[in-house]
Amino acid sequence: MNAAVTHPDGAPGPAARPRTHPYRQPFTWWLRRRGYVLYMIRELSALPIAVWWVLFLVEVARLRSGPSGYQPLEGWFVAVSVVCLAAALWHTYTFLSLAGLIMRIPLGEGNVPAKTIVRAAFGGFVVLTAVIAGLMIWGGA
Amino acid sequence: MAAPKTITLSVSRFDPERDEEPRLQSYDVPFHDDWVVLDALNWIKTHADGSVNYRWSCRMGICGSCGMNVNRQPKLGCSAFLRDYLPGPIVVEPLNNFPVLRDLIIDMDSFMEKLRWVKPWIIREETALSAGEHRQTPAQIEQFRQFSMCINCMLCYSACPVIPIEPSFVGPAAIALARRYDLDSRDRAGEERLRTITGNDAVWDCSFVGECSAVCPKDVDPAKAIQQTKFESTMGMLLPWGGTK
Repeated sequence: MNAAVTHPDGAPGPAARPRTHPYRQPFTWWLRRRGYVLYMIRELSALPIAVWWVLFLVEVARLRSGPSGYQPLEGWFVAVSVVCLAAALWHTYTFLSLAGLIMRIPLGEGNVPAKTIVRAAFGGFVVLTAVIAGLMIWGGA
Repeated sequence: MAAPKTITLSVSRFDPERDEEPRLQSYDVPFHDDWVVLDALNWIKTHADGSVNYRWSCRMGICGSCGMNVNRQPKLGCSAFLRDYLPGPIVVEPLNNFPVLRDLIIDMDSFMEKLRWVKPWIIREETALSAGEHRQTPAQIEQFRQFSMCINCMLCYSACPVIPIEPSFVGPAAIALARRYDLDSRDRAGEERLRTITGNDAVWDCSFVGECSAVCPKDVDPAKAIQQTKFESTMGMLLPWGGTK
């Protein structure tokens, strides 16, 4: 008997389960469908956000010596931040687009339409972003 | 372009008593514009090689028996037209994520066990017949109708990349069916079934790839069922008025 074939019940007989060939997922499974590739991009877009937070914490740590000793990071930090912003916006877009699918909000005999939920989610995102940006600008001033 | 006279089907063959690995065997099949892959397999079985094994029954996308991979995509053999794969060859293989018993036939025991696990039937205390029927409004039926369209064809299991990593994951169709009964106004097992599908090996194993919904031949949306269950179980935990009905 070859190693690739399983035979859970051992010896053949009336009660023996048939031998089967197990499925093995190839390493390149995510290239098989466009949906898999988009899924991988969606999930990996969270990684630059994590990287950016590490860099941000480094910046905060460098502030310990006070404003006189602080040297802002070079232009590459700006470039990395732009990439991270793009990844964060893409991740946010994919997340909020799915809000209508995920949430079921009863309304009368039916539910709130999915499009309404998605629009409300994007609206909330814009308002919250504006509020946080306003607070940061106001705090900086 | 003139239609070809024949098209080649490369069919996966596996004989558990002889083969170490599945292999592809090619057959030239007459091309007809209105033939589907299942018609081509039936022609092979009748005219070329009677030893080819596959499941089929209704030939009209209702029974869910003829799920297979056609050019690496999960399809119902009775819904995949040869004309959509011109000039060929068409590679026909068993569904992914299941052990292969023989040729295109998969071992579906694990799926049947998972299906039973979520109790896909109406659970409620029996009432006397004299109490009358359990009436539902069209709006109440609309809450679960799409999830009741599942034909258990297992294409969603074949498209789910979580299953080979977490073989005990109960999977898309079973959760969609659980959701179907959770949303049924006649069912009274909400908490019991919800505990099952929000516990181990259930909705939280899903990483929301979403391809289960993309491949469904009946436009059921199992990904929606899974994500809604995640959301509502979370709300049920955080909010005193959270629930499924």
